[in-house]
Amino acid sequence: MSRLPAPRLLLSAMLVCGLAACSGGDSAPTKEPPPIIKERQANFKAIGGAFKAVRGELESDAPDFALIAAKANDINARAQQIPNHFPALTSTEDDYDTEALPAIWKKPEEFKAAAAKLADESAKLATLAGGGDKEAVGAQAMAMGGACKGCHDQFRFDDEKK
Amino acid sequence: MSDTQPPLAARYRATPPDVSVWDPLLRLTHWSFPLLIPALWWTAENHKYALHKRLGLVLLGLLVFRLLWGFFGPETARFAQFVKGPKAVLAYLRGDRSAGPAVGHSPLGGWSTLVLLLAMLAQVSLGLFAGDPFDGATGPLNGLVGARLADTITELHETLFWAIAGLIGLHLAAICFYAAKGDDLLSPMVGGAIPPAEGVTGIGPTPWVRGVLACGLAAGLALWVAYGAPPIS
Ligand code: HEC
Ligand code: HEM
Repeated sequence: MSRLPAPRLLLSAMLVCGLAACSGGDSAPTKEPPPIIKERQANFKAIGGAFKAVRGELESDAPDFALIAAKANDINARAQQIPNHFPALTSTEDDYDTEALPAIWKKPEEFKAAAAKLADESAKLATLAGGGDKEAVGAQAMAMGGACKGCHDQFRFDDEKK
Repeated sequence: MSDTQPPLAARYRATPPDVSVWDPLLRLTHWSFPLLIPALWWTAENHKYALHKRLGLVLLGLLVFRLLWGFFGPETARFAQFVKGPKAVLAYLRGDRSAGPAVGHSPLGGWSTLVLLLAMLAQVSLGLFAGDPFDGATGPLNGLVGARLADTITELHETLFWAIAGLIGLHLAAICFYAAKGDDLLSPMVGGAIPPAEGVTGIGPTPWVRGVLACGLAAGLALWVAYGAPPIS
């Protein structure tokens, strides 16, 4: 194996890195997203956080059912917001950093129904949490999880499925 | 063949061969890091999780290989050769070059090697459990921990990256520091060898059989983890 002169190596490494940095910048979405995209993503993020808190509570021996009910109500209120957050030209095809698939605008009724289903399931969860039956609440939490998955499978971009 | 050019051949014979210090597998593993770490960062930033996960598993395999190589590889790859106690490190810092081996990592470089490898291993391991099944991508072992723990792990996975970036910065700064002192560490890490020097012998031939076995074991472990670590048999 031969020796190699370091300065030449460093120079070529710097060139490669420079090129990589330039090309990396290009392929990311370029447009600044309109406020509505940020708003809906923040809404989903809060839904995600609330559902995580619910599942976290259900992992303990004595779950705080009042907290679960509060989180379920929060999800319920946010689910009702979902249909207002998807104006035209804000899908993955519009070069924004979003995971909203064009299917949302192709099947608007189904999308609304999927949001309504989450509202339904979260309302049921809030009611059941008042009863304090851990098993029933756990089952309903998973049923609500099915509403997330059902909508994501159809309407949210998933890099792993393509 | 003819004896018209003996001076050149004689000169070749008179020059002792370069001293081999880093074996090819160690170097291949090393140079995969500066390719993989930025790629892992970029895929995470841009939500390319399918690729992020695949690259992470490749990195896991490479790190497991490097750890195995630290026990079964050539001298300069072995932890036993380069992980030294505080006395040797202090002596080295005071300028005593005999505190470390003639070839391979210095007592200080040995610790930086260990810390870099362990930090990357910790990062990859956290990634295996990270994510949330109701929010997109999850590591292959996410199902083995609860929602709360997974959430904490995900946050750690995000934070630890910056610690690793800091360590890499330190790593590059150290190499520049030595280069400025006229000590070229980069060329041997690329080419594997240093110029001949009096009384310095390099590593022996690469133990390829052990190398292939270690690669196989590392790849097997990474694949097993990729499938969610199912029970064996
Ligand atoms: C009616 C359809 C629908 C339902 C129901 C739904 N989601 Fe989503 N979710 C989406 C869409 C579409 C996006 C992508 C939004 C975007 O990127 O602009 C998304 C994005 C998200 C995100 C990522 C937000 C971000 O950008 O950081 C999370 C987290 C999330 N959803 C969690 C949930 C959870 C948890 C539930 C169930 C409790 C749920 N979602 C139910 C359609 C839905
Ligand atoms: C993601 C980036 C990097 C990581 C994680 C990393 C990690 C490591 C590790 C773990 C070692 C120990 C080698 C071993 O024994 O297996 C090492 C050594 C080394 N690395 Fe890197 N490295 C990175 C980038 C670089 C770059 C970009 C360069 C060159 C500019 C470089 C130059 C070297 C050199 C010269 C050594 C040998 C040091 C010595 O002689 O003791 N590394 N690196």
